[in-house]
Amino acid sequence: MKKRYLALMLLLSTFLFGAKADSSIWGNNLLSNILEYDKEGSLHMGHYFTVIQSTYIQPMLLFVLIVIPLAFAAHYFIVGPKVFSHSGKSIMVFSLFKRINHALAAISFMVIIPTGIIMIFGDFFGGGAFVRFCKGAHAIASPLFMISVIPMLLTWMKRMIFSPKDDIRWLKIVGGYLSKEKKPIPAGMFNMGQKIYFWFVTLGGLVMIATSVILYLVDFELGIFTSMGLSQIDVLRISALTHNIIGIFIVAMFMVHIYMSVFAIKDAYKSMIDGTIPEEEVKILHSSYYKELQEKGEV
Amino acid sequence: MGEFARLNFYCDEHRCINCDGCSVACAEAHELPEYISRRKVITMNEGIENMEYSLSIACMHCTDAPCQQVCPVDCFYIRADGIVLHDKDKCIGCAYCLYACPFGAPQFPLDGAFGTKGVMDKCTMCAGGPEETNSHEERELYGQNRISEGKVPVCAAMCSTKALLVGDSAKISDIYRERILSKGHGAKTQPYGWDVAYGKKL
Repeated sequence: MKKRYLALMLLLSTFLFGAKADSSIWGNNLLSNILEYDKEGSLHMGHYFTVIQSTYIQPMLLFVLIVIPLAFAAHYFIVGPKVFSHSGKSIMVFSLFKRINHALAAISFMVIIPTGIIMIFGDFFGGGAFVRFCKGAHAIASPLFMISVIPMLLTWMKRMIFSPKDDIRWLKIVGGYLSKEKKPIPAGMFNMGQKIYFWFVTLGGLVMIATSVILYLVDFELGIFTSMGLSQIDVLRISALTHNIIGIFIVAMFMVHIYMSVFAIKDAYKSMIDGTIPEEEVKILHSSYYKELQEKGEV
Repeated sequence: MGEFARLNFYCDEHRCINCDGCSVACAEAHELPEYISRRKVITMNEGIENMEYSLSIACMHCTDAPCQQVCPVDCFYIRADGIVLHDKDKCIGCAYCLYACPFGAPQFPLDGAFGTKGVMDKCTMCAGGPEETNSHEERELYGQNRISEGKVPVCAAMCSTKALLVGDSAKISDIYRERILSKGHGAKTQPYGWDVAYGKKL
């Protein structure tokens, strides 16, 4: 009992804020940072941060913002959307709880993603009050995502586990999106693309939340980082780079998510409003799930 | 001051007596709020015999100013004489400049709602900001503009041992060299050359 208690305390203590009167950036730590800087054996995080932030972040995001819409346009005009009639029979798939949860995350993303893009291209917008407002909105919208990401992870986790049989075949035919043919596509309740998006947004989202809290609080110390020998300023540098790079990936995937649900599969987003999917759409795009429902006698 | 002069600070480690006069003078002259210390005195190798020395540090006005490179809103500008300044009206308080700076020079007032960071504040080498020179706005945002009046920055002017040197970097190194020579042999020097932030290749 005592041992368990001690272990728990030890675990918790790593998450405690260092109760220091001294600042962990401008205080005594500043000395070791200056002595270490540019020396052999140091992490060189300041230098890496400067180079990566100043030369790669903006072009990376610009690339995503140009190439992905171009790919969508090409797909839309060459292959064209998949259209399933929404007037026929449909299957109830998403419960009200899941829909509300999805709506919370969706609202937060609608704010977080544009404001994040504006901040990265802050020089284009000239900085000042407008970009400062976006920075505020970016922070204010994030709690919505924080409260929806955990239930989302828990309610969909089981359905999102990779099933090699369907998913590898799905990858081989790129989800059937290269042709307009309505042939049953190997996928369970969620296809491989949805699974990749899900894991990226939930696990990546948790990393985004952790780094955002670090960047928001700035001057503090966490036992877990000090025990790893990381100074607070290096923690901030690593967090900023991680936040920006994962953020760009999430922007890319979010754009794909929107394109798929609104254009590629016409009006598929409606399933997240009323919870239902046309039976034909399930039969074609989620054939394994349809079989499962048939076996249960639900369709 | 020559045509290609670049203004720099250099703190003579043989002379600095850790009196903190420079940082007090700075805070007083610019009426800095609490939590903001544009200049501070640090002691290197504390407790190690013959290795201990004190330095006064602030913004080093680096030639490769990493703060300017990473700023997402491009609020930094470098004057022809090398002074690195920034525009507080553009700054969004993202603190990237702090992450890029090896010296912890950028300061942030944590005075917004829920402890959000305000706009950045740092040493201006007493040269104010982009507002009209010696205007009320400039004084409120950036403090005194002593350079425009032909005065030495207040920290260096107040330094009792004249350890803190400021001016044309070539002239400063001449003065420093002269001081070392007049001391004769045995004077240990560790010129730290902080005019470039990240000189070495990665």
